[in-house]
Amino acid sequence: MQKNTAHEIICAVRARAAARGINASFSLHREMSHLMRIGNNSVSLNTSENLTRLDIEVINGRRTGSHTQMGDVTTEEYVEKALQVAIDKAEVASPKDYQPISVVVEATVAENAQYDQTLEHLDPAFKADAYQQIIDNVGESYNFSGSWSSGSMELFLVSTANENTMHHLATDQDFNVVLKHPQKKWELRQWQSGWRLDHFDVDAVIDGFRQLLPTYENHDGCKLEPGEYRVALGSQALAEVLMMACYTGLFGRSYEEKQGWTAKSKLGDKILGENITLTDDPCEDKTFRFGFDMAGKVRGNFPLVKNGAMMNLMYDTMTAAKYGRQPTGHTGGSASVVMQPGSASPDMLEALKGMGKVIYIPALHYLNIPNPSQGVFTGSSRFNAVLIENGKVVSPIFSSRVTDSFQNVFGNVSLISSEAESVNLSNTYGRRSPEAASMPSYIVADKVKITDSADSF
Amino acid sequence: MSLSADLKKQILQNIDRITGKGAEYTDARYYTNDDSETLFLYDGNLEANDTNFESGLGVRVLFGGAWGFAATSDAKMTDACFDQALQNAITAAKLVRVPLHMSKKPGHTGHFASPLKQDPFTVPLKEKLDFLSAIDARLKEDWIFKRYVYAEFQKKNIFFFNSEGTEVERNLNNVFAKMMVMALDTDGQMQRRSQELFTTGKGTRGYEMLTQPELFSTHAERIKDELSQLINAEALEYGKRSVILLPGQGFLQVHETIGHPLELDRILGYELSYAGGSFVDLDSFGKLRYGSDKLSVSAFGSIENSPGSYGYDDEGTPERDYLLIDKGLLVNALSSRPMIAEANQKAGRTVFSESGGAARATAFYRAPIDRMTNVNILPGNDGTLEDIIASTKDGVVLDNPVSWSIGSNREHFHFSTEIAWEVKDGKKTRILRNPSYQGHTVEFYNSLSAVGDASTWRVWQVDNCGKGEPNQIMQLGHGIPVVRFDNVITGERK
Repeated sequence: MQKNTAHEIICAVRARAAARGINASFSLHREMSHLMRIGNNSVSLNTSENLTRLDIEVINGRRTGSHTQMGDVTTEEYVEKALQVAIDKAEVASPKDYQPISVVVEATVAENAQYDQTLEHLDPAFKADAYQQIIDNVGESYNFSGSWSSGSMELFLVSTANENTMHHLATDQDFNVVLKHPQKKWELRQWQSGWRLDHFDVDAVIDGFRQLLPTYENHDGCKLEPGEYRVALGSQALAEVLMMACYTGLFGRSYEEKQGWTAKSKLGDKILGENITLTDDPCEDKTFRFGFDMAGKVRGNFPLVKNGAMMNLMYDTMTAAKYGRQPTGHTGGSASVVMQPGSASPDMLEALKGMGKVIYIPALHYLNIPNPSQGVFTGSSRFNAVLIENGKVVSPIFSSRVTDSFQNVFGNVSLISSEAESVNLSNTYGRRSPEAASMPSYIVADKVKITDSADSF
Repeated sequence: MSLSADLKKQILQNIDRITGKGAEYTDARYYTNDDSETLFLYDGNLEANDTNFESGLGVRVLFGGAWGFAATSDAKMTDACFDQALQNAITAAKLVRVPLHMSKKPGHTGHFASPLKQDPFTVPLKEKLDFLSAIDARLKEDWIFKRYVYAEFQKKNIFFFNSEGTEVERNLNNVFAKMMVMALDTDGQMQRRSQELFTTGKGTRGYEMLTQPELFSTHAERIKDELSQLINAEALEYGKRSVILLPGQGFLQVHETIGHPLELDRILGYELSYAGGSFVDLDSFGKLRYGSDKLSVSAFGSIENSPGSYGYDDEGTPERDYLLIDKGLLVNALSSRPMIAEANQKAGRTVFSESGGAARATAFYRAPIDRMTNVNILPGNDGTLEDIIASTKDGVVLDNPVSWSIGSNREHFHFSTEIAWEVKDGKKTRILRNPSYQGHTVEFYNSLSAVGDASTWRVWQVDNCGKGEPNQIMQLGHGIPVVRFDNVITGERK
């Protein structure tokens, strides 16, 4: 990654803007992204993107304007021009009925604890070789597809409030491979995540498929009738549902505006089961650690739910300003949600002995929220979902829809794995912004509502 | 904004250079500008007053049956970007079981510009804010808990070149807008009504589209009135009944359960690890009764003023107007050149005679994939909304999505909507809240029992269709009449 010059240019413009009495913040986002896609047992796309974005926000009294410019920052004139766009926008803007909170970089921070130069400059041939090994070892009669995103992201944040600077440099990768039976149509998936190249383990992928395949090759799938089931949610399904619960219930915006499922509760109230504890912990290594937010606030361990009780709400600066609250370090950037593990055996099948019929859903597809006020979510099972009876896998299940509430699912958790896993939640829309959660490898919840099921794979 | 002669020369020289190194095909897209502006008034406060300007180069190289792609926002890196794309293709070619090819096409030149009278980027910011503030003032009431109105303007100038000699310039403009009002119902739960800027399919799509009252602003009073009834309404009870979808909901039904499953790259398995597959396979074309004989669905539809009308796709192929579903029978897919070549090879016959002109990329830094253009249900012969209601014994009229969740192969779905109007014995009776419905795609479309005439047909704009890895947001449209489906599961089981 190119260093220093762009930072120095931005700091020089920042200093001049401060001298002119302009209230502005500047953030530089640089990414080196690589992604390999696999389809039909071939590399279907191999991409490299080197992109630089400069974001500038100006506050003029109660008026604000912001501008983003893509391109390399090589001259002060370039930054001055972008700054002027934001100044002009703020000048014309209608004033808010509250005072916006300025970006104040609380401390000078330089973090690169999750940076791996080897991963940043990874030769794509490494990825092609890994996929080749998987196909060769698991069997090329299956149809393999997948994607493997890796790269680095650098963020540099300053504001005219002071001379502090915040710098974040990190790498991340998100590996996926899907195996589909060409005739029977069932799909299996393996995924891995991490910030170092050696977090990827091709043998684990191959072993994962080998463990799953007999169940699928030797059993027909089964259709679940609508009803209430004991369900084991894998770490990925768990992260997906919990993140939805956080967005709709634990952010100050949804709470203040009575749009979410916690609207009628107050801090300290029980909103989930006694065995549910959630924190936002940017020090947790299983998440992609981000020590500051886009408002310049240093982030730390932030309890969200303790033993089922709502402890705190996450406020961005705009919501905090509007409702007279304090920002909590949740303006933009990536959260690091951690669910506290329990005491159940990491071996899920061992833990499920004697528990009768359990539906195991490792991941949920296309989750959405039909009723945020009631905390109702819906999504359907997809890869690797099976019916388990007394600790033994009985059969794969057809795509089955779960439509239930956060309160019901997380109010009826009977088992929580003692082992935590990192779940990659990044998307690659727009700019690279890695996000991960730390989740127990599974939970078991009772009386979960299955509302529909496909008729076949 | 025009492309400099020097940069054009450099791009063409690089295409020749890469071809000389053995590439089967090379194309380059240079965006001289990809600008957007977002204005968002929330409770009267201007929460977003943002502009975003991007420019850069994306290069795609086909070598040894595999694609390499590279992009840069730094014009100085043009030569290196071509080299990187070639190197990526060479690496990709090491793992090729099904070589990809481009069907051979002669080069051509072309130009397309979205029809517009007034470029939104030339309208003073204050004028745009005054327009939105006036709508905001109309939405404001003491009993309304939250309200917003926003507009988004997009402008892209794209120059396309390929190794076949094709050169295409496009100047694309989009205008999106939405307003919403929210209030607490008798149970203290938030209800909402909204309206998006839509089109009739005819006319221009500059700033003047936004300011046509009947397409947007005049709906402010209607959604307030409907919300005032909604907050005192009872919830929709679980049960099977007819559902009548207005275009504001029908567009998303079509988008999710016809548009996406008919993207050829999905059908061929290229989206399995992310967006999912499709219940449709190559044998389905010409055989699958996707819906009742009242269902005819087109791509593009020669709509003048939709974000799904773009002249040429990102492979330089002219956009085509053709049927996807003809009187219930599945006949075609949304496709690109490499995907039809692969599909025909895989099927061992000509399933698709030519590209659907649907290879689209969201930005210079993304490679094109098979996307929707405009996917439209053709108007039918069952009259107006009132006519369809009059012939309905037990049903609900539904409008505007709240949530949508679709099975990974698009074989089943669950939607919830903002509002329902109960229909009993041919009459609209009362408003119901918290409506939802679910079904299985083929069974659902085969229960299509009424399709409204052209007077009910509206083009709904979509500004946020997500697909692909790396992820891409795409803009498109859906021309939809009022439609009725029978025997549908509605509401939530107790």
